[in-house]
Amino acid sequence: MITTELLNIASSICPERVAVSSEGIKYTYVGLSERVDRLAKSLLGLGVSKGDRVAFLQVNCSQSVETYFATATIGAIYVPLNYRAKAQELVYILNDTEANVLYIGERYIDLVNSIIDNLTLKPALISLEKRHSGMPYYEDLISSSPLGDISAELNPDDTTVLLYTAGTTGLPKGVLLSHNSFTIYILENVDPADPEAHETILISVPMYHVAGMQAMLVSIYGGRTIVMERQFQTEESMELIESEKVSRAIVVPTMLKQIIDYPDFAKRDLSSLKVITYGAAPMPIDVIRKAVELLPGVSFINAFGQTETSSTITMLGPEDHVIEGSDEEREIKLKRLSSIGKALPDIEVKVVDQDGKGLVPNKIGEIVARGARVMNEYWKGEKLDKQIIDKDGWIHTGDMGYMDADGYFYLAGRSSDMIIRSGENISPAEIEAILLSHAKIEDAAVIGIPDEEWGEQPLAIVVLAREESSSADEIIEYCRSKIASYKKPRGIIFVNELPRNPMGKVLKRELREKYENYFISTKTESGD
Amino acid sequence: MSNLLGKRYRCKVCGTEVLCTKSGDGEVMCCAEKMEQVTPRPIPSSD
Repeated sequence: MITTELLNIASSICPERVAVSSEGIKYTYVGLSERVDRLAKSLLGLGVSKGDRVAFLQVNCSQSVETYFATATIGAIYVPLNYRAKAQELVYILNDTEANVLYIGERYIDLVNSIIDNLTLKPALISLEKRHSGMPYYEDLISSSPLGDISAELNPDDTTVLLYTAGTTGLPKGVLLSHNSFTIYILENVDPADPEAHETILISVPMYHVAGMQAMLVSIYGGRTIVMERQFQTEESMELIESEKVSRAIVVPTMLKQIIDYPDFAKRDLSSLKVITYGAAPMPIDVIRKAVELLPGVSFINAFGQTETSSTITMLGPEDHVIEGSDEEREIKLKRLSSIGKALPDIEVKVVDQDGKGLVPNKIGEIVARGARVMNEYWKGEKLDKQIIDKDGWIHTGDMGYMDADGYFYLAGRSSDMIIRSGENISPAEIEAILLSHAKIEDAAVIGIPDEEWGEQPLAIVVLAREESSSADEIIEYCRSKIASYKKPRGIIFVNELPRNPMGKVLKRELREKYENYFISTKTESGD
Repeated sequence: MSNLLGKRYRCKVCGTEVLCTKSGDGEVMCCAEKMEQVTPRPIPSSD
């Protein structure tokens, strides 16, 4: 099914319900549909056609919903950009994407102007929030474009979203997701809009993540009211839950911890909350137990998935978060609380050994998934590594784990070196390349080290060039100037040489074991 | 009972499901039988 039907369906069932609320502006479903229609016309007017790329650089906002649906309406491909990216990263992604149009939030205008000459294909720039000379203004495009049907020939297997995710080789990779990638999941797992049922969802996870995109599309189909938060801020999120009577929220473990640890938590009225979904990184058991205790009216759901699988593949449901019954039952439930749940009905999930052979319950191997909504190619037909999708169509998640006899999956580390900091994937190879571009650095390795609040933090092990001297602050600042701040190393360790095997490969496991307590013994800063 | 807006109906014979986006007095049929109304899922979706 085409994703634009999700909006059409909800607009038919609950036309006057608020579809999206952002920064004090609210649009009903029918109002949203009209704006989308006009915006799609304006894209056609700019010469955008099927298969072209429409990039979007802004924090969460109602315009991201409108722009996605307008782009999909004409069969173009929506590319939500990482709004935390630095100039060098944006140049790479925009050149890789060859975006035809770029919508820009006010805070990114100067950044885009500074890189525009480095782009091989200069996109048409559209200002989202204010008028700028030589740049069409979003609201002017909407108000000046007519309503009316658009007859684009769309196929459910056409690509609708291009999401960039941290690649194991260091450079971000574009994952192609089709209309079906989203709608197969939605039709199988989500209840449609219902005049008698109304939910309000807070979306503060970034829309450049598959979780944000999926949550938005699910919510539109479900006829929910979407409350868009620009970026997660603990206090603001709680204020929005109170003022907008939010009934659902999607969080990463760090967000949930910050909410329940907030000094004024007890003074907040979060009683409207009925469902909290968490995922993107392993949830510390103490955090979820405390959350269940402090939010007794909430159904908790652990959703596990990744960009390449169009989000969720396994789910630990609300009933598994209720720890009650006999001692034996309580023990089983407590263990399951650390599980990522069971496979969803529309996808196959199993655990395999290094040869791809299925493993019996309780044996640790790599978690793999297969189904109609799994990605089957990267942008520009980049060759798929057989380590990512094997000959039988199983996608290798890179997550190690096991399945118990009852079908519950458990995580047990990762098969790759990928670091996950508060739900953001960070490629060590990307940071190592930045470190090695520093004149004073001769060799470097980056590893993920456990951190109570952030899940993992990047730590750099650095060998300085002969007779050079430097400081951790100098090197961290250098990285911060080159890459998104959340990727910068949170600690630098200077060594004379890196441990390597006879083939010259850095022994990262040895480094991880040696420095595993680094962030426990060293208080880390929290800012980005 | 007439078709209700926003409700899904399932065919007991072939399993086809339809969603009513505009209600009317009629009743949807499939495989020569009236389709039955689907109740909402007891467990909320994960997103």
